[in-house]
Amino acid sequence: MNTRLRRTLPYAGLLIAGIAAPFLFPDYTFQFTVLWVMILFALTWDILGGQMGYNSLGNIAFFGVGMYICAVVQIGLYYDVAQYTASYGAVKVEFTAEQYFTGLAVGLIAAGLGAMVFSVILGWVVFGLRGPYFAIGTLGVALSAGELTGAWDYVGGGGGIALPIYPGEPDDRSLFFYALCFVLAMILFFLLRWIYLGRFGLAANAIRDDEEKAEGMGIHTMRYKTVGWAIAAFFLGISGALFGNMIGFIEPLEVAFPTVTFGLFMVVMCLLGGRGTLWGPVIGATLFHTFKEVTWTYLLGWQWVALGALIVVSVVFFQQGIVGWVKEKWPEKFGIAVDDRALAETEPDLDEAPSQRLRRQTEAAQ
Amino acid sequence: MSKHLKFLTALAFGVAAAGLVAAGPASAKVEGDTIIIGSAISFTGKYSTNGIHASNGYNLGVKRVNEMGGVMVGGKAYKLKIKYYDDESTPLRTAQLAERLIKQDGIKFILGPYSSATTKAMAPITEKYKIPMVESEGASRSLFTQGYKYLFAVLSTSEQYLASSIALAAEIAKKNGRKPSDVRVAMAFENDPFSLDVRAGVIDDINKFGMKIVVDDKLPRDLADMSATLTKVKALKPDLLVVSGHSKGAATAARQIKELKIDVPMIAMTHCEAAKIVKLFGAATNDFLCPTQWAETLSYKGKYFGTAAEYDKLFKATYDGYKNVPYQAAQASAAVLVWKDAFERANSFDTEKLRQALSETNMKTFYGNIKFSKAGNNIAKPMVLRQIQNGKFNVVAPSKWASHKVNWPRKVPGM
Repeated sequence: MNTRLRRTLPYAGLLIAGIAAPFLFPDYTFQFTVLWVMILFALTWDILGGQMGYNSLGNIAFFGVGMYICAVVQIGLYYDVAQYTASYGAVKVEFTAEQYFTGLAVGLIAAGLGAMVFSVILGWVVFGLRGPYFAIGTLGVALSAGELTGAWDYVGGGGGIALPIYPGEPDDRSLFFYALCFVLAMILFFLLRWIYLGRFGLAANAIRDDEEKAEGMGIHTMRYKTVGWAIAAFFLGISGALFGNMIGFIEPLEVAFPTVTFGLFMVVMCLLGGRGTLWGPVIGATLFHTFKEVTWTYLLGWQWVALGALIVVSVVFFQQGIVGWVKEKWPEKFGIAVDDRALAETEPDLDEAPSQRLRRQTEAAQ
Repeated sequence: MSKHLKFLTALAFGVAAAGLVAAGPASAKVEGDTIIIGSAISFTGKYSTNGIHASNGYNLGVKRVNEMGGVMVGGKAYKLKIKYYDDESTPLRTAQLAERLIKQDGIKFILGPYSSATTKAMAPITEKYKIPMVESEGASRSLFTQGYKYLFAVLSTSEQYLASSIALAAEIAKKNGRKPSDVRVAMAFENDPFSLDVRAGVIDDINKFGMKIVVDDKLPRDLADMSATLTKVKALKPDLLVVSGHSKGAATAARQIKELKIDVPMIAMTHCEAAKIVKLFGAATNDFLCPTQWAETLSYKGKYFGTAAEYDKLFKATYDGYKNVPYQAAQASAAVLVWKDAFERANSFDTEKLRQALSETNMKTFYGNIKFSKAGNNIAKPMVLRQIQNGKFNVVAPSKWASHKVNWPRKVPGM
């Protein structure tokens, strides 16, 4: 098999699997849809968390912001939002198919852009923080975003918003949202592949390895961090908007800003699959989602214990995640040349006395 | 990309596909002589106390129906069985589980989840698939304004929960020679769909009487502290304090009312029985007013559990640790009876025929009469208000059902 073909195969496999899944297992369309959203979560978290070493615990805020922006746009285009939410959904609103799809399309775009703007403003505030302070700072943002939305009567407060219902058949609806989530995840995946291979990827990794040094070398670290976060926010915002419409009923704490579930799952999925790699989040999310679906069915009552055990095992034994572990085990498969002799020569022998080393080096030079 | 990575990807997808296939056993709506009803309910998370009450109620209903010969359809006796999933008390999960029950497990009959929020997430999906759902734990009135055709609720809607306490306060004010509009009300509601709906009902009634609202606090979910609200209440001395926040909220309120020695003459709160506040806080809960969907002292009677009192006895004998049977359990059992009745009248497993049969339900049960409006809510059963008098729940309003006089102002021994 030639290299080119071998390299394209996994990507083609992913695309084919994504397209075939709802046709092979039509009854599982909804779970597959959630799977793509999970993959999207993991991929977006990895932009900062994996590639740049900025562990955000608050990315879920963009998900919720997108969800609410889309809901407000969808309803606001045709009705008075405050009036609609004041009755806690007691008013029935009818949307024609045309109104529904127009509202959704405008809402999705607004959700992505809105979340992106939010991330830029937020980044300006929190990117001064490093390490655990950044993690806790962003966590605070996500938690307070949920509480603030819950206190905001215009969007229904804690009562939430019932979203317009898809006008077609239920099976079409599943497929429709599946297609949107799949396409969105694929766009993100190939976009990330493209930017990681270029200058952005190098700069991001430089920031992760040593931000001061990167700065010293003339990399505009703030610009890269902001762009990275804006990409994450854009896709999370749209995924939030889609997810809200799939659920049909949104409210701030459990659906829009689920910090302790989805907000942490995205981190766990990356850690499981291998942070800082392109495929890690995809594999991590797939395994995690499958594990969760299976334990939630067969280990009812023990499901959280099983999930906790999985997290402990992955953190203790696979600190670099699955992809990281494989990479270490078979580095040559990843195009990483390991020459033991060269390595021995470049690495200093710590037992060697300085004078001895100097003599050896001079001899080698001659 | 390497061969190994490729293999790993394939493996991951293979595992995923295999896992998902394995996750959904091919249980159809009716297997042999068993009718399978699906339910996603809260076994974990903040609604778990009530989720477990409700599932106990479902299980007792199923047990009773099966013991008494099961369900007769087409001349054959079928047993009932419930397939459960845990919704983790979040609507996020409910929507996924609804799809799973209907699409993968092939379930055609649904028993509702616990809470209005989760029922709101479930209803659009059952409606889309035209799968009838009998629910007993989602009281928000907004559920019954959406024109849902496949949703049937055995309980009274939430705006009725505490409204009767407002009417009672007005009545007492008049008796004491004061105008109802002089009554000052303090309100504390959890910021969630159910409690906000209760609040809407209370506000409607407050406005009707022209009463004054002196405290109107919306409290965070999973309510663990409301001392700030209670401190205000202590300072402002209102005539009535109303609280709603599921079981956790009721327990928190009762505990802190005790600790802070709040001496408002009238206190009304939801979920007293479910939170087991009498058992936990004893005499400090004396004279609390608690709205209930059902009471074991009411004169309701039906074929399956006999009288309300007999149900109460059976439930306590079946499950440990209940001093009072929460109405959440009773109405869950009633929902099972509604399904049984509908199966037999429809004499079919066809969901359309069942929907029709459900909409024509008119039965007398230990839980009260059940008859659905066009919107799907039960209009044949009132909400009653009970007062905790010396550790006992006695019905004090509405007067038609009252067995005891209301104590006013409330007296707490040792205070």
